[in-house]
Amino acid sequence: MLKRIGAITQKEFILLVRDRGTLVLVLLIPLIQLVLFAYAIHMDVKHIPMVVADQSLDTASRSYLDDLVHSDYFDIVSTVQDQAQVVDVIDAGQARVGVVIPPDFSADVEQGDAKVLLLVDGSDPFTTQSAYNALSAIAQQHAIQLVLDRIGISSGSGAAQSLSPLTAHIRTFYNPDLQDIWFLVPGLIAMLLQTQTITLTALAVVREREVGTIEQILVTPIRPIELMLGKTIPNLLIAVINMLTIVVVGTIGFGVPFRGNFLLYFFLTVIYIFSGLGLGLLISSFSQNQRQAQQLTSMITFIGQVIGGFVFPRYAMPVILQWIGDLFPLTFFIPISRGIFMKGIGMEFLTGQVIALSFYVVVIVFLAARLFRQRLD
Amino acid sequence: MKDRSMQKRLQRIAALVLKETTQLLRDRRTLMMVFGLPLIELFLFGYAVSLTVYHIPTAIVDQNKSPESRDFIRALVNSQYFDVTETLQNQDQIVQEMDAGRVKAAILIPPDFSTRLETENANVLVLLDGSDSFSVKSGYTAASIVTQNYSIQLTVEKIERAGAAAGPLQQAAVMPITSSIQVLYNPDLRDLWFILPAIIGMILQSIAVVLAAMAVVREREVGTLEQILATPTRPIELIVGKMIPLLVLCLIIIGVTLGLGVFWFGVPFKGSLWLYLWLSLLFIVSSLGLGLLVSTIARNQRQAHQITQMLMIFSMLLTGLVYPRGAMPAVPQFIGDLIPLTYFIRISRGIVTKGVGLTFFWGDALALLIYGLVVMITASFSFKNRLD
Repeated sequence: MLKRIGAITQKEFILLVRDRGTLVLVLLIPLIQLVLFAYAIHMDVKHIPMVVADQSLDTASRSYLDDLVHSDYFDIVSTVQDQAQVVDVIDAGQARVGVVIPPDFSADVEQGDAKVLLLVDGSDPFTTQSAYNALSAIAQQHAIQLVLDRIGISSGSGAAQSLSPLTAHIRTFYNPDLQDIWFLVPGLIAMLLQTQTITLTALAVVREREVGTIEQILVTPIRPIELMLGKTIPNLLIAVINMLTIVVVGTIGFGVPFRGNFLLYFFLTVIYIFSGLGLGLLISSFSQNQRQAQQLTSMITFIGQVIGGFVFPRYAMPVILQWIGDLFPLTFFIPISRGIFMKGIGMEFLTGQVIALSFYVVVIVFLAARLFRQRLD
Repeated sequence: MKDRSMQKRLQRIAALVLKETTQLLRDRRTLMMVFGLPLIELFLFGYAVSLTVYHIPTAIVDQNKSPESRDFIRALVNSQYFDVTETLQNQDQIVQEMDAGRVKAAILIPPDFSTRLETENANVLVLLDGSDSFSVKSGYTAASIVTQNYSIQLTVEKIERAGAAAGPLQQAAVMPITSSIQVLYNPDLRDLWFILPAIIGMILQSIAVVLAAMAVVREREVGTLEQILATPTRPIELIVGKMIPLLVLCLIIIGVTLGLGVFWFGVPFKGSLWLYLWLSLLFIVSSLGLGLLVSTIARNQRQAHQITQMLMIFSMLLTGLVYPRGAMPAVPQFIGDLIPLTYFIRISRGIVTKGVGLTFFWGDALALLIYGLVVMITASFSFKNRLD
């Protein structure tokens, strides 16, 4: 039996190695994703292009604009005459934020009823959020500062000393500088392993069925369970290589700290990989051709990505979706991966997740094996 | 004579279209998923997922236990961002709870909070779980905004008291500037309004590229491509015949997603529908061309799958779908320029969300046109080369 499994494994390996294009892509995808995230993606948006219609052009308006620009959040890219032109520039997408300062600004500030209109482009979620928060904070601070300056000068009292009576010191555990790549790596491992194992396994089986060689294999003494194992072992290996690539490049190349026990991590990752292999086999039993298999895997990986906690936190979702999320192994592995990688915690905190994951693997592999055999008989 | 050959050619294309359509319609499961995926995406984003995270499970350590500290906690809870799920005694317990993943944020109010609030500067410590980026970002912004507002409110109260003492002249000076912020196009910051125009593009591109690539690679892999080419059918006719049903399919998908978004989820469609359809057509042709190009590079369906997957990753990250392109370095921006979605997202947001016309994005429309022509011609040539 072992010999036959070995033979199938060998055949799959040869097929894989001969299919250079796939192999290169399979091994490169983790690297490309990592590099892209590290260099290209910045969630905190600064230097947002801003258009200004300053109808006063006096000291008060200039000091207001200075505060906006000095925050580093906004860059003035164009100067126009009135509100309609500001909207035009935002319509054309040349600026994301507009400031309209009406005439006689200084005088109005003196009298205490100056008004500024701030316009934010609401068509792009990340920029809108950053711009909105930055604008309101800076505008408020500017106003407060003016009041305090005035009181400090006119009454000479010590009221100005406490510009803000309350300060929040915000400290972020596990990722003190809020580096995006630190957030990403543990989740990326979870997501990528799932996508790769499901896809490769499902396609490997369905392809053979589509081309018709699966019957040829089955007339040999090879039994379905042996075929199944032989087909999954190479994918297990690829997944392990993928995981190691991300861990090594992430830690050494990009300086993401690995805080937990690597052996434990490795062991739990292998368990997790089996869940993907099982799901892939399951999909292969449900698909008649590679196109279907591909559509099914992209659907499953997409849903897993959205509701499994990779990007969006699960507690913020409706309960029903949290239940559906429990059907994806990703859901259990993400807390494990983040826990060991970033928090450096051990089994004492993860027991529940590990039990759930192991249970999932046993059920899915059992189901997959049964269906696999049924489809072949 | 020329007429007759043209007629023959059209007949052959029609026959191919018929064959492809039959194949597509017979493959019920693929069809179901092609339509199912956009629906699932819309419903997920419509109901389940929110770009801002509210109700972060939060632990409170109130070592002050004064009316002021309770007032501050109330301000935090009222912001909707924080849900107090645990009350703890000290910082060690916070670390414990966060390690276990039971809370994502914690707020520690020191014993001298209320006295220092009166006299000088009080501090609170906000602790966030940095392993979950969305919670951290929402928590970070919320905590700083809430404390700032609270602080401003206190200052204003203080100033008013000082002003009342100093006389009516000073009182008038309270808050000399009012800055009103107005969000254009999406005043209530609804997530789906942001997402719909972009996600339509993403759905269309992925379906068009995958199906176009698979349609050709599959026939090559199974070996039926040679059989077709042994007939009088010429490669260019084969391409046209294969693309037409997919084009129609994509148009139906646009109709379904857009209809659902507008009529079910109430996303306003502000611009011209005709213009949108024409430009979508251009975009679909570009994406189909890209799929054909993939099919000429890929040797089998597995390779095609990996290539399209890579393309999807690039599209998710570099086209402005999620992450703003303005913040990217030059090389990733350039890679993004090679993907048709980059141009279509700007067009789609322009027409659907902003309601602007061609004058505002003629550059993108032109780019899409050139892109479609180039990619189709390249794909046809390399397709021919691979066959000959």
